[in-house]
Order: sequence, then C-alpha cells, then structure tokens
Amino acid sequence: MPTVKKARPMTGSTRSKLITWGLIVGALSAWEVGVRVGNVPPYLLPAPSLILRTLIQNLSTYLQASLITFGEALLGLLIGTCVGVLIAILVTFWPGLEHGVMSLAILVKSTPLVAIAPLLTIWLGFGWQPKVIITALVTFFPVLVNVLVGLQTITPSLLDLFHAWQANRWELLWHLRLPHSLPYVFAALKVSTPLALIGAIVAEWTGASGGLGRLMWLAYTNLNLPHLFAAIFILATAGMLLYQVTTQAEKRLVFWYTSS
Amino acid sequence: MIRRSSLLLLVLFSILLIVACQPSAPPTTPTPPRTALTFMAGYKPQANLPFVGAYVAKEKGYFEAEGLDVTIEHSPGQGQHLQLLAAGKVQVTTQDAAVLLQRRADPGLPLVSIALIGQRGQQAFAALKESGMVTPKDWEGHLVGYKGTPPPDLFALLHAAGADVNKVNLVNVGFDPRLLVEGKVDVYPLFKSNEPFLLRSWGYEITLWDAADYGVPTLGLTYVTSESLLREQPDVLARFLRAALRGIDYAAQHPEEAVQIVLKYTGPETNPDHMRYMLETELKDAQSETTREHGWGWQTQAQWQALADMLHQYNVLPSTDITNAFTTRILEMAKSSQ
Amino acid sequence: MDVHLKDLTFLYPNHDQPVLQGLTLDIPSGQFVAIIGQSGCGKSTLLRLLAGLLHPTQGQITFNGAVSNGRSRIHTVAWMAQSPALLPWLTAYQNVALALRFARNGTPPLMSPEEALSRVGLGDYIHEYPQHLSGGMQQRVALARLLVQGASIWLMDEPFSALDELTRENLSNTLLDLWQWLKPTILWVTHHIYEVVRLADRILVLSPRPAQIAADIGVELPRPRDENHPRFATYVTQLRKSLFHANGQESASNDWFNT
Repeated sequence: MPTVKKARPMTGSTRSKLITWGLIVGALSAWEVGVRVGNVPPYLLPAPSLILRTLIQNLSTYLQASLITFGEALLGLLIGTCVGVLIAILVTFWPGLEHGVMSLAILVKSTPLVAIAPLLTIWLGFGWQPKVIITALVTFFPVLVNVLVGLQTITPSLLDLFHAWQANRWELLWHLRLPHSLPYVFAALKVSTPLALIGAIVAEWTGASGGLGRLMWLAYTNLNLPHLFAAIFILATAGMLLYQVTTQAEKRLVFWYTSS
Repeated sequence: MIRRSSLLLLVLFSILLIVACQPSAPPTTPTPPRTALTFMAGYKPQANLPFVGAYVAKEKGYFEAEGLDVTIEHSPGQGQHLQLLAAGKVQVTTQDAAVLLQRRADPGLPLVSIALIGQRGQQAFAALKESGMVTPKDWEGHLVGYKGTPPPDLFALLHAAGADVNKVNLVNVGFDPRLLVEGKVDVYPLFKSNEPFLLRSWGYEITLWDAADYGVPTLGLTYVTSESLLREQPDVLARFLRAALRGIDYAAQHPEEAVQIVLKYTGPETNPDHMRYMLETELKDAQSETTREHGWGWQTQAQWQALADMLHQYNVLPSTDITNAFTTRILEMAKSSQ
Repeated sequence: MDVHLKDLTFLYPNHDQPVLQGLTLDIPSGQFVAIIGQSGCGKSTLLRLLAGLLHPTQGQITFNGAVSNGRSRIHTVAWMAQSPALLPWLTAYQNVALALRFARNGTPPLMSPEEALSRVGLGDYIHEYPQHLSGGMQQRVALARLLVQGASIWLMDEPFSALDELTRENLSNTLLDLWQWLKPTILWVTHHIYEVVRLADRILVLSPRPAQIAADIGVELPRPRDENHPRFATYVTQLRKSLFHANGQESASNDWFNT
C-alpha cells in the first residue's frame, strides 16, 4: 500500500524564490515571443534564444573576458572599500579634517568617469591598473560616507563605558567603532558592488586589451547585438550573484544588526 | 562568529591573491637585442589597410627580419592614439589625412605622415536604393546625417553636384547605420569599406555617393609618427615602414590569408566576410597613378595641397603650410635598402 | 576604599551656572551610599566626575588618600549605567571578558567571567548574545562585568530603573549579596525612595543646581531590610520630606491646601 505523503507547506523564502524565477522566465519568454512575432531583426533586438546560443558557442571567450573584468572590479572594490574605511577612520581621529576631506571626496565623485578614464589610460597604459583605480574611485565614496556614520554614531552609554575604562583612541577604534561600523560597510557594499562592475566596464571602453567591456564595445561597433547582449546577460547575472554573496556575508558577519 | 583579526587577514590575503593572478609580462628569452617599437592602430582591430600591413608584417616575421620587436596596440577610439604618440608612448600610429592636418593646426600636435596608404578617402554617403535618389541634388528636402561635425566633403559634394546646401536638413548621427534602415535619416555618412557590408548583409541595397567621383579631393589613412621621432630615429621608422609595406603587398597577393591573420586580432564578434570586404575595398583605394610609379604609400605635395585647400575652403582648416605634414624621406629609405 | 570629595565644583563649558558647587564629602570604605534628588540636579554629574568621565572645574577627589588621576582609577572604580551597554557582537562571556582587557597593570582578575556570570545567575547563558537576553538579564551581564574588574568602588547610575518591579527586586537582592561578600564602596544614584531605604547605609539628598548636599541621612535598619519594620516607613517619610524641602517645596499635600 503506497504511503501517503503529507504536503509540505511552502515556506516564505521558497515562495519568493519561485516568484523571482517566475518573473525572470516570464520576462524572457515575452521577449522571445515579441521578437519572433514582430519579426525584429537581430541587429535591432536579438531574441534571448539567439543570445544564449551565441554565449554558449563562444563560452571560452566570454569566460576569459569575464575573469578579467571581474578581477578588475573586485580588486578595485577591495581597494576602494579599504580606502573609504581608512579615510573614515582618519576623519574620526582628526575631526578637523572632515570638511576638507569630504569636499575632496565629493569633487572626485562628481567628476564623470568617462572624463577621468581616458586620462588614466594615457598615464598608466592599457593594463589592469587604470581599471582598478577607476573602480576604486567609484566605490570608495559610498563606503566613506556610510562608515563615517557608523564610526561616529555610537550610543553614548557605550562611549561612557569605554571612557570609564580609560580606553585610548586605538582601543576605542578596534573594540568599539570598527565592529559598530560593520553593518554600514555592508550597506555601502550593496551600493558599491554594482558600481564596481560598471566602473570596470566603462574603464575598459576607454582602453583595454581584454575584458567584458571591451567585448561589448567591439560587438557594438560591429553592430553585433547578440554578442553585445550575451555580455550584458553575463553582467546582469554577475550583479545578482554578487548581491546575493554580499547579503549572505552580511547575515553571517553582522548577525547582531537586523536591517529591515 | 568570525574574529575581526581573521577578517582583516582574509582581506589582505585576497588583495595579494588577486594581484598575483593578474596576467604579468611573459618571461623574455635571451635573443639578440631588437629595437622595440609600439604600433598603435588608430581604431579597433579590423581590416583597415595600414592595420593589415602591421598584422601581416608581424605574423610573417617581416618586423623580426628588420630587427624590430613590434607591439601592436589598438586605440579605444577617442583619439588616445594621437595623444600617446605625442607623449612618446607610441612610435607609429594611423590617422585619416584630413584629421591629421586638422590636429596639426589645432591643438598643434607634431604629427607627420610617413606614408599615405589610402590614396583616396573612404568617406562616402549612402541612401537606400528604394529611396530613388540618384544624385546629391536629390538630397534637397531630405534629412542628411553627419558624424561629429558637418564634414567639408559633404558640402563639397553638394556644391559639385549643384545642390543647394540650404535646402538640405543636416542632423548629427553617431555610428549607427540602423538609422538609415529604420528611416530615421535619408542619407547616412559611412566608410565605403565598412557599413555597406553590414547594410547588404541585412538585405538592403544602397546607393553610394563617393566624394571623389565628383572631383572632391579626399585622402585616406596614413602611417603617422611624431616630428621628434622622425628627427631622431628615421632608420627605425624606415625599417618599420619597409616591413609594413611588405605586409600590405602580401595581403594584396593573399587576401584570404591576410583575413585569417586579421581575425587573430579581432574577436568572435567579427564576420570574416566583412573583413574580406573591408580589405578589398581599401586595397582598391590604395592604388593610384602615384603608387603605380613609386609603390605603396607614396605621397605628393599636390595631393596634400588639394586636400588642404578643400578643407580651408570649407573653413575647417586655417591657411597653413602643409609641407611638413608629410614626408617621402622614410618611403625612400624603405625602398633603398631592398 | 574610601572616597573623599573636597570643594568639588563643576561647570559645563560656556555655562554660567555650576552643576555642583563646593561639594565636600567623606565616604568610608565599604559604605553603600545612595544619592537621590530631583531629575537634573546633578546626581549623574557627580557620579561621572567620580568615574573620570568629567573633570572637576575646581576641587579634588581622593581615593584612599591619593588624589585620583586617569590611570589610578581603572582598578579602583567600576561604572554601571541605566543602559546595560553590552556590545551586541560579543557573547555574554565575551562582554564580561572585555573588561579584563582593560586591567592594565596585570593584576589577576577577581574571578573568571564564568564565575561572575554564575554569581549573577546567568550560568546557563554564558554563550548567548545580548539580543537573545531580556533587559534584566542584560543588566545582570553588566553587573557581572562590573564584578570581574575587582574594583573597590562601584559607581551605579540608576542601573535598574528601566526594569520591571520583580526584576528590579531580584537584581537588588543579587547586588546586596555581592556587596556583603566583597564589601565595595557603592555610590548608587536613583530616584526610587523605597529602593533607597531598602538598600543603602546612607542617603544623600541633593538640591537642584548648583547642587549641594541638602540632607545626609544614615539608615540604621538591620539587614535584611523588611518593609514592614516600623522604622522603615519613618525613613521613607523623612526622605520624602527632605526631597521636597530640598526642592524648595513643603510637602506636596500641603501645597494643595495652601491656596
């Protein structure tokens, strides 16, 4: 006699995952149908099936390019984050610097990437260095702003405690300010991770010997849209993955802070 | 829960790891010292004839035979190649003749053409055949596109065809021939060796107007160097040019093989037939009375003056002396030691 | 360790009125002193001065005859506030152990963090994080943290005010047990009159700014204190009167009828 299994109720997270995937598949299907029915030529808008085929047929090229771009983005992100944290620490120790530092930071942030990138290429060549620098420039600002808040907005009762312990500013930094600012670092990372990807791509447009951005530019100037979109698909997927990784890391490392 | 010090170590380790994994320069094997030279193609890898000359010369060992160790780079397309040449980071690059004259005038870049590969320019205009337009006079009352700033050859073309400039609507378009097929523009500015292939592959027939057919002087791509390098290392330049011209010659004899070589520099997004088309079109325009007499890349005062006069007439070039914009010296040196 | 205050005066910078003025006080070692007064009268300021969180504008603080400076306070004085001030990324054990990191001259801790947590009744919760502990339990951790420092003076600024009645009573009993075992000098700020009579040897009533000692009442009830003891109520009344008097009022009830 067959055993009857009790139906397991769907958990909230399973449901939301299903909805997400449902939406993605739905959008892609609508796209595919639209292109076929409307007889849209591939040089205007390629169908997802064509894009996927292109991606698979040139997998090694795309993988190589992705590695280069992601390497640049991640290294730039790491450096930008470290620089942001360091400057925030500096300003915390010497509050007089805050105004000057923030003005400079805003200046850098406001300068459009597309203006800086070619200059860096001329100074530093076509290797990975300019890409990493540009990515770092793009990502340090959200980190700086967030971490500054995190380092400084400590509840007075905690500060009193450490003050009563006669803690010096380094102990205060290590035991109190830095761990307190960790949630803020992750809030900044959620913003700066996609920025890092964009930074690396834009940097490659203005001078690269390899990478996904360069692939995109070459594909566009050949009006080879399937190739262009294949690169975009990879970028979108990478962006989603990175966001997931960041959120997971946040859950582990910042377990005490519930961000809504 | 991860300790903070471990987190710090992890971060430092990741930086080291990523830096270590970046591609580094390959180890050099001990060989007799060759002169290093960087050639930067003025645009992305494709079958423009000066690029092909360098690609073939490198592949076939012509550079090596001249004792040159040539690195081939490509400009991302925003004029960096000229800046890098002026800054001495690159020794030879390519440039369209008209732009070379303009950049010499403003901002005064010290550029010199050592060879005029494109004896005629590739700038042309196209409309869909179904539009029914036959001569540029038919452009009156239509939307005509231009890239960047309205080019002098456009006005010269209209003038030569007897069309009234004021009756033509001009609009700035970027690189996008799709504008033509979608009807957003009636006449589109293109390079003869490039966009027509794309348009035909999409199934469209086009009518092409070449400024040269209307007696308007145009010149094509050149090999460019800086005035200082010309002064200081003419022999190195001669060796480069000799090998590159040999490469062009080889490509003219073996176009199929040349396309295969080009494909090594482009990626999978490039169509080999497109490259073949580009090569053959440019090979045609690389030949003239002058080259039949003196060889690939020869250039004369008359050619350059005609171009300069036309540019001046349409106010894109001040009245300048173009004697130093080009030189046949390197061409002669390249020929002599053969 | 005994505490001696001489002419203690404190003004916040850019303020005209001093918070404390010319306060002179002697507290013998091991005494449980409660400081009571209207909100804002300067009780917390006094405690913060003793803890080294503020510096006197004038006057002197001496511990066991030695004028206190920054360094000497660490082993002498322990601070506990109304908010438990636990680091949320550390477990109860780690929070308590953190205090030991700041014991600078290498004196061995009075007891291990585990023992301190056991003594405050949290033996089963050593590896819990603060967000999994109730308010009362968090204050117990703060108390254990204070314990482990082995200080001879405990400065406590309304530590149980935010807790409910029952928890407050339990914690007060725990505190009394600890006090009777280790005999530190305790300075306890509160505005809970019953609590004060139940716990303290001596009650100081502070007047509003500039704060002066309006009343200094010794409580001579036997321990453990019983609310039903006849003199308990007397102390409460006396205390209440002193409080209102210190604030320039006769008793509240009198004011009602004096129209």
